[in-house]
Amino acid sequence: MDSVITVKQLRKQYGDVDAVKDVSFSVGKGEIFGIIGPNGAGKTTTIEILEGIRKRDGGEVQVLGMDPEKNRRNLNARIGVQFQSTAIQEKIKVKEALDLFSSFYPNNDNLGDLIEKLGLDEKMDVYFEDLSGGWKQRVTLALATLHSPEIVFLDEPSMGLDPQARRDLWDIIHYLRDRGSTIIVTTHYMEEAEKLCDRIAMIYGGKLEALGEPKQLLEDLATKYLSFYSRDADENILSRLPGVISLENTEGHYRIMTEQLQRTSYHLFKEGEERNWTIEGFQFERGTLDDLFVHLLHKEETA
Amino acid sequence: MNSLLKVTKTEIVLFFRDKTTVFWTFLFPVIMIWLFGSMFGDQKINGLSYSSVYIPSWIAVNIMTVSFFTLGTVLANYREKGILRRYQLTPIKPWKILAAHTIQGAVIFGISAIVIFLFGYFFYDLQLPAYIGSTFGALLLSLICFFPFGLLMTSLAKDTKSAAAISSLLLNLMLFLSGATFPLEVMPQVLQYVAKILPLYYVVELLRATWNTSPLWDNGVDVLVLFLIGVASIFLSTKFFRWSGQKV
Repeated sequence: MDSVITVKQLRKQYGDVDAVKDVSFSVGKGEIFGIIGPNGAGKTTTIEILEGIRKRDGGEVQVLGMDPEKNRRNLNARIGVQFQSTAIQEKIKVKEALDLFSSFYPNNDNLGDLIEKLGLDEKMDVYFEDLSGGWKQRVTLALATLHSPEIVFLDEPSMGLDPQARRDLWDIIHYLRDRGSTIIVTTHYMEEAEKLCDRIAMIYGGKLEALGEPKQLLEDLATKYLSFYSRDADENILSRLPGVISLENTEGHYRIMTEQLQRTSYHLFKEGEERNWTIEGFQFERGTLDDLFVHLLHKEETA
Repeated sequence: MNSLLKVTKTEIVLFFRDKTTVFWTFLFPVIMIWLFGSMFGDQKINGLSYSSVYIPSWIAVNIMTVSFFTLGTVLANYREKGILRRYQLTPIKPWKILAAHTIQGAVIFGISAIVIFLFGYFFYDLQLPAYIGSTFGALLLSLICFFPFGLLMTSLAKDTKSAAAISSLLLNLMLFLSGATFPLEVMPQVLQYVAKILPLYYVVELLRATWNTSPLWDNGVDVLVLFLIGVASIFLSTKFFRWSGQKV
């Protein structure tokens, strides 16, 4: 696959603080690429350096074969951007905003389709300030993509959206990709990254902690979970079972992270039989990106 | 349509949707002219009628209102909200955004000047300016002087709130101390000196003169002062104008 974005050893400092430290990755044409991490991890800084509105302190960045810092003007016509805090003029009507932004681009033949896909027809005469969060999001998304950009940058697009609006957003993002755009999206919702992204870069404290397909990352992590209910199990004994990495207990619901599912299970039931514990609702669980994330964080803290 | 015209048109439409600024720009001066008019009555001021002295000065005040509120505070708000930054990521050239806002400001001011003039013409026997070309010249010079001055003031402000606060402070200061509304002659000597530091003083002087007594070229000092303020504020506003409230 051709890469449309290449980042090598990217560095950015604010005063003495390293916001981004030696981050490298590349994004292929047509990918939905997620940059994920907690708030303040350096996601926005990274994406804004790619967009060309933030200067980097070191490393190389190429977007569509150009250095965004030097060629922002040229790049602007070929990328689409949605900021984290979505704001346009409060008293502007939706149709006026679309009309205004259309006048900035020579090519916006797909606007009609986009309006239909986003369901904006019914909101054309509404002032931006009167729209709900989800609709505001759709409007700014339309403004970011009405010129069919080659790359679309979305910074925390699902922040503050209800679950339904979030699902609709994923649907729209897939539509944009199918239309030919490469998507770069930041999020701190792991579930979103897992369901939406082809590949993810996990950033924590400005450092790249993991890079790859969500499924692959979870498998590489080699951490599996088993869970069950028990009223009489002993936490101390459980945590010393072979293979156990960590253990959570919420009012008798146990969730055990283990490297060896089979072995830990065997010993769990063995101890249970010997000590007369009642074990109910036992099941194996796959780890989620959330778990991976907590795991990385944990590693960071103990290192 | 050309993007410059589109931004200009949009901003003019948006101006009229904000009832507060419409009130301060169009209704406030008219109400004040009426209030002061009932105070002055038929009294002559240095041999001139109330309307020919004070109506030009309210037009002068409106140059300031438009540059501080319609231009400066609005742009400070757009910067704070990230609207200017959003424009930066489209192909429109930055000068077009500033030009659009400047043209919008000039159009809004023009309309307000016509409203004030017509009010004076029909209710206070206001005559057309004696040196009409000079009056237009004086207005143009004042716009060139005040528009960037307004941008500069609000560029130095951190956010919309402080931009509005700076604007209100300057507006009130100049409203009462520049001779635009209260005659300077009745004020203490100190305040008369203060008036001469305020740019509006020169706009008021120049407009009154060209409206009633003498053309532009007979008022060299006022013209020179406004010209210098204009050059300085254009220079400073290009130096200090920021598109984003954030560090790059």
